[in-house]
Amino acid sequence: MSEEPPLLELDSVTVAFENRPGLFEFGDESEQVRAVDDVSLTIETNDVVSLVGESGCGKTTLGKTAIGLQRPTSGTVRYRGEDIWAIRDGSAETTQSWEDVRSSLQIIHQDPGSSLNPNRRLLSILSEPLRQVRPALGASERRERIYSLLERVGMNPAPDFADRYPHQLSGGEQQRVALARALLMNPDVILADEAISALDVSLRVEMMDLMLELQAVFDTSFIFISHDLSNARYFTQHASGKIAVMYLGRIAEISSAEQLIHNPQHPYTSVLRWATPDLGGDVSTPEEIPMRTIDVPDPVDPPSGCRFHTRCPEAREHCTAVEPDPLPAGGADVRCFRVRDGSPYWNSPRLEEEESSSS
Amino acid sequence: MAQTHQPDDPIATLEDVSVTYDDGTSFVLDNVSLHVERGEILGIVGESGSGKSMLASSLLDAIPDPGYLSGSITYQAEEKTIDVLELGQSELRSLRWEEISMVFQGAMSSFNPTMQIRDHFIETIEAHNGGVQAGMDRARQLLSDLYLDPDRVLESYPHELSGGMQQRALIALSLVLDPELLVMDEPTAALDLLMQQSILLLLRELQEKYQLTMIFITHDLALVGALADRLAVMYAFDIVELAPKQQLLSNPSHPYTRALLNSTPNLQAPLAEMRPIEGQSPAPINVPSGCSYNPRCPLATEECRTTDPAMDSPAPEHSVACFYWEKAQWEIELNYATDQPGGDHS
Repeated sequence: MSEEPPLLELDSVTVAFENRPGLFEFGDESEQVRAVDDVSLTIETNDVVSLVGESGCGKTTLGKTAIGLQRPTSGTVRYRGEDIWAIRDGSAETTQSWEDVRSSLQIIHQDPGSSLNPNRRLLSILSEPLRQVRPALGASERRERIYSLLERVGMNPAPDFADRYPHQLSGGEQQRVALARALLMNPDVILADEAISALDVSLRVEMMDLMLELQAVFDTSFIFISHDLSNARYFTQHASGKIAVMYLGRIAEISSAEQLIHNPQHPYTSVLRWATPDLGGDVSTPEEIPMRTIDVPDPVDPPSGCRFHTRCPEAREHCTAVEPDPLPAGGADVRCFRVRDGSPYWNSPRLEEEESSSS
Repeated sequence: MAQTHQPDDPIATLEDVSVTYDDGTSFVLDNVSLHVERGEILGIVGESGSGKSMLASSLLDAIPDPGYLSGSITYQAEEKTIDVLELGQSELRSLRWEEISMVFQGAMSSFNPTMQIRDHFIETIEAHNGGVQAGMDRARQLLSDLYLDPDRVLESYPHELSGGMQQRALIALSLVLDPELLVMDEPTAALDLLMQQSILLLLRELQEKYQLTMIFITHDLALVGALADRLAVMYAFDIVELAPKQQLLSNPSHPYTRALLNSTPNLQAPLAEMRPIEGQSPAPINVPSGCSYNPRCPLATEECRTTDPAMDSPAPEHSVACFYWEKAQWEIELNYATDQPGGDHS
């Protein structure tokens, strides 16, 4: 079998950050946070993988690790079958250079305003990456390419926009420029890190449509990070990709958008589903938060067993002791005992309601 | 624009409130009239630059310089009626916090990073000549109402708390002087959705427990839909539609409201039917004549281009600034299911 290797493949990737005691702090215990803990994930050509979860669940760290901006503590990240950090270190027999890898894997940030140099016009901002990858290009050719790309991302008339400074653009337009800049590198993968979260709700669909349209033209894959399930669903389902729900550094559930929204398997996915506002039907105020505590536990000291058990409405004794492995269930991979009929979970007693801090 | 029905017990009333800059050439609030009913949660929804934050700041006469605020704003305290725009500096200071309190987006910039949370509470209580002991008891109660551990939070510095905990601590701080009206401007926008929803539920509990009146300002109609009793939609510096929540969501009558609802990513709606609103919102210097939405409106006629529509009333307590709201209900389909279809007004 000589199958093409996947475009991007993360294999048992762990990213740990260490917090060493400062000069004036006493004691020598250093605290370690595993922002990403033993995650495997595959991204194909023309694919969309969305990462959803709460603040601090590790979705940005996982995304940055996938595109080579963050070195994993352990595990490997393979681009077209080759370990990118081996390429970086020059320790592998490879056909690719680190520069190729870097320019193939691009990022758009949440806040486009601060990722564009305020002192330069768009033409100069967009020329910079082109000069890097295509040094042979003449000034007028470069300008032509930039104009045509600006038109592609809906900024007409392009020469007029190219002459502006970032502050002369609206938030939506700034984000289009950031997207155009990423596309100039002809990337295989773009990490869109909360790329639409700072936009008005009414502009989000437009921006996602633009990204999808360009995906079809440029054959780009997206890693789409969002805390909003309805955005992730819109983007992912249009591109027939997958949504991965992250919780404290682990993937709790991964499946197609359709399946995840309409038939969530993990209790945490159901909680996220609850948190996503719905317009139609029942808009009455829900009475209770479907979790046992509101705040995420301290990631320095993650809960034993299943990491979600301290908040999970379905938790039983078994969950505090044993961590579930990812189990296939109806097209999804789910880290929860509840997807197996024969699990010891079902014979284990329910957890007592924990004393909440409210009296 | 005129109110179409009389309020029972308004806590705050705005009449023809305008905010102008550049010697009156640019309006960032254009003749807004609104009453806030005592004990309600009023959601104010608008896109960036629609004037919604200006509306909140006007309530406290806190327009950034050199803006000029005109019109009338009255606040109904327990025993007297206060004309907000006539207050002197010290009276204004006691109105703020003690009667009307505000919470902004981004708790991190509201807290002093070098002070413990406890000191923020003490400082606020002392600045308003309150008893510290009683005030701190109330603070502890508020913090636990918000599912925070008072001992831990009071001893913390702001950076030691997560974003959601900071924002909840800020809400507790805003309520420590027992105000009647709480105005929140995008109070949850920087947080993830799960924390936003949790805070919304807690706000509802606080509202009932302390009999507060709340104004919740946001660009996210779907989010505030679950919390609010009434919803007001702003477009181009004025309110274009106002109705009880259920009525507004099941029978939206302004073409803009319907477009806004259709552009909102929604788990229920079929993918193909979510679409952006064509065109752009106007800038304060260049508001179209007639109905300000007319350049983007699929139903616009000559009348809309010349005459600014007055408030009409499709249903009791429901007001909409559109000549063709019946047609809008018919012709602009919503992409989500509503309980009562809007097409029964031929």
